[in-house]
This record gives sequence, C-alpha cells and structure tokens, in this order.
Amino acid sequence: MEGRPLDDTALVERARNGDVNAYEALVQHYQELAFRVAYQVTGDAADAEDAAQEAFVNAYYALGRFRAGAPFRPWLLRIVANEARNRRMAAHRRTALAQRALVAQTSGEAAPSPETAAEAEEFRATLLASLRRLRDDDRLILAYRLFFDLSEAEMAEALKCPKGTVKSRLSRALGRLRAALPADVRLPATAGETDG
Amino acid sequence: MAEPQRLRDLELERALRDLGPRYPYPPTPNLATMVRSRIVARPIATVRPVALWRDPRRLALVAAVLLALAGAAALINPATRDAIAHFFHVRGVIVTRGPSPLPSVSPVTPLDLGRLTTLDQAQRAVGFTIVLPPALGAADAVYVASGPPGGEVALAYKPRPGIPVVRETGLGVLVTEFRGDLAEGYITKEVGPGTTVEETSVNGDPGWWIAGQPHIIVIQTGPGESSPETLRLASNTLVWEHGVVTYRIESGLSKAEAMRLAAGLP
Repeated sequence: MEGRPLDDTALVERARNGDVNAYEALVQHYQELAFRVAYQVTGDAADAEDAAQEAFVNAYYALGRFRAGAPFRPWLLRIVANEARNRRMAAHRRTALAQRALVAQTSGEAAPSPETAAEAEEFRATLLASLRRLRDDDRLILAYRLFFDLSEAEMAEALKCPKGTVKSRLSRALGRLRAALPADVRLPATAGETDG
Repeated sequence: MAEPQRLRDLELERALRDLGPRYPYPPTPNLATMVRSRIVARPIATVRPVALWRDPRRLALVAAVLLALAGAAALINPATRDAIAHFFHVRGVIVTRGPSPLPSVSPVTPLDLGRLTTLDQAQRAVGFTIVLPPALGAADAVYVASGPPGGEVALAYKPRPGIPVVRETGLGVLVTEFRGDLAEGYITKEVGPGTTVEETSVNGDPGWWIAGQPHIIVIQTGPGESSPETLRLASNTLVWEHGVVTYRIESGLSKAEAMRLAAGLP
C-alpha cells in the first residue's frame, strides 16, 4: 500500500492552521483504514465507528503536538487503536459480567469437518476465529503488517515501540496465533496461491 | 505422514495475507461529515506567542479561552476524565463513566480478594500499617493480595444487626487498604447512568462517595496496563486517601453510616 507522504504533509500543515477542508480530506482518505483497524480491536461495527470518529476528532485537536513532517498515518493509527481499546475494554467488562449469569450453559464448540471443496473457506474461518481469540496487541500487529501492509517503521510508530522490537513482536504474535489454532489444522492446497 | 505438521511462520503469514482482502469487515461508515461538524463547532485555538507576551491582557484572555476549551474537552474525552479523577487525588483509583447501563448479573460474583490469612500475617505481607475500623472491631476474615506493589489487605465483615447484607459481595462490609502511591490505576471503577459519584472529604482527606446502582470494579492483578484484571460489581463505596494509603469501604450503608465507619480510620 503506497502512502502519500507529500499530500499528507501538506494537508496536515493546512489543517493545523485551521483549514477544516484539509482535515476533512485526510479523514476521507484514512477513514476506511481507521475504521478497519478499530474493528480489528473492537470486533463490533458500532464501537469501531465510535472509536474511529472520536480518534479523528481527538487527532485534530492534537495536531499542535504532531511533529511537522512526520508520517501522519501511524500517528493517527495509534490514536485510533487507543480509542478502540478503551471501547473494547468497556464492552468486554460488560460482556464478562453478563456471561457470569450464563455459566451453566455449555460451550458447544463444533469440531470442524472439512469437506474438500470448502477446505480453503473452512481454513479461513478457522484462522479468523483463532485470530479473534488473540489479545488485541497480537491481532493488531498481525493486521498492521499482513492486512494493512504497514512498514516496520510505521508499525513501530503506531505501536509506540522501538523499531528493533517489531520483528520479534510479530514473530511472537504469529506463535500465539499458531498456538490458538486447532492442533490438527492444515494449510489447504489452494490457500495462499491466489495472489502472486 | 501420520501426524499433520504444524504451520510454519511463512505459511501462516501467507495464509493471513490471503485472508486480508477477504476479511469480513462491516461497510465503512462516512466519518468525514460527522468529524467535520464536530471540529467546525469547536475550532483549534491558534495563538501567536510573540504578540501575546507583549500584551498581558491578551495572554490572560487566551489562557481563559484555553482553560474553557480544556474544560469542554474534559467533558467529552474519557481519557481526560481519568486525568481529572487523578486530579481529585485519590491515588490508585480511577473512576470512569461508562456509556451504557450495566448488565443485570447474578447477584454474587467471585470477590477475588486474595489469599485468606490472619491479621498478623497480613501485616507482615503489606508495606503499610493495617488499621481496622474501631466501630467494627476484628474482621471475620482477612485476605491479602499481592497484586499491587506494597500489597493490599481486604477485611471482610459479615452482615449483623444494623449492617445489611450486600447482594454483590454476600458480605456486610468490605474494607480494603493498599498503597495508592505505588499502584497507579490499580482499581478502575466504571459507573453507569444509575450511579452517582460525589466528591467528598473523609477525615479531612479528599475522597469519593459512589452510590446508587452497583458499579463495575476492575482490579489489576499484575503490573502494567495490559496485565490481567478481575472484575465484579460493587455496591455503595466510600474511597479516600490518607498519606500513602488508599482506603475503600464497600457496604449497603448510607453515606452518613459509611462516614461513621471511616471516622475511626486514618
């Protein structure tokens, strides 16, 4: 995914000086990414929308603290992820409390029985389910790299961690994803061969 | 091969890249319009430092405007509300207002108070002097938790005449004490619309009285923001700080009665 550093820099500079149109253009440009990153964290569309909207508003008022010329995208994503985490935490607490009333119910987890034709689909569903069981941080780092194609430098900025630790964090997240997958999961012959 | 091989990193990365474009995201909402309307309503305050320093009256005016803006932002931004909670100086406790009513749950949720012990052993385990409310006397049970730095003691009192049972805890009164100065954000209290949070003074120290509908109490069980936490519903709570220790009395009592119990504590 190619960033647009020049456009961003100019737009950010104008927005900083109170040009609302310039900021609106930035929102237009990044709203899909922001919403999807928030969704990776919250897993809920309404919460993701609230988080992304709040993040854009907060980012606008924080533009004064934004280092001129720095990349806007990872800076914005850090704010988005924080907003999303706060919402997820609140939602999670409510769910966790509500679920205590339902302890008696068994978790009827159906064993997957892959049919040859639907194998790739089945595998993706399994992968998705395991991904959703990961901690936010792990899911985010995997999504940044493998879904949204952020560079290592951008990831370091978005995750607020030293650049040198991005690779090892990514590898640990992959390890935990692997551990979260059912033991007998197999890569279907077709998966991963669709793009070149 | 009898055993299916576990996926290697590269295979897993490839599978995720393959999943990326197919990820079932909900449709992206149009955020631009909403965001625009919100920022137009409250523009960035732009200031010119040179001109300001030369004109103190103007500086004062801008300071007032900035303060007003900060106040407005504080009402909107939950993170700022946390900062305000800290500002009220009950260390170790953050109160946030949740967006929606809390779920109705089974009355008694696990208390997770820590390890059952004796008062003497608890005293040896924590980094402050444990004080019992004189009006209640010896606790029916003493627990010690090692979650926060400096430890935490929980004193549990059974219901008795004049002290009703609390649905959420199954107890009459629960007193907890911990080093608030060492455990920033150890307790988070999330209150819904049916709960009131009132700033108050306990024995001359700043505190809060949280009452009404039960609130969520979240307790950090390890260091760091992302450490595991336990949570449960809590009833009327008086929380305050004296010196380095933060005290918390949870009960079904009224504010005046809770204040009376607190009067015997530091």
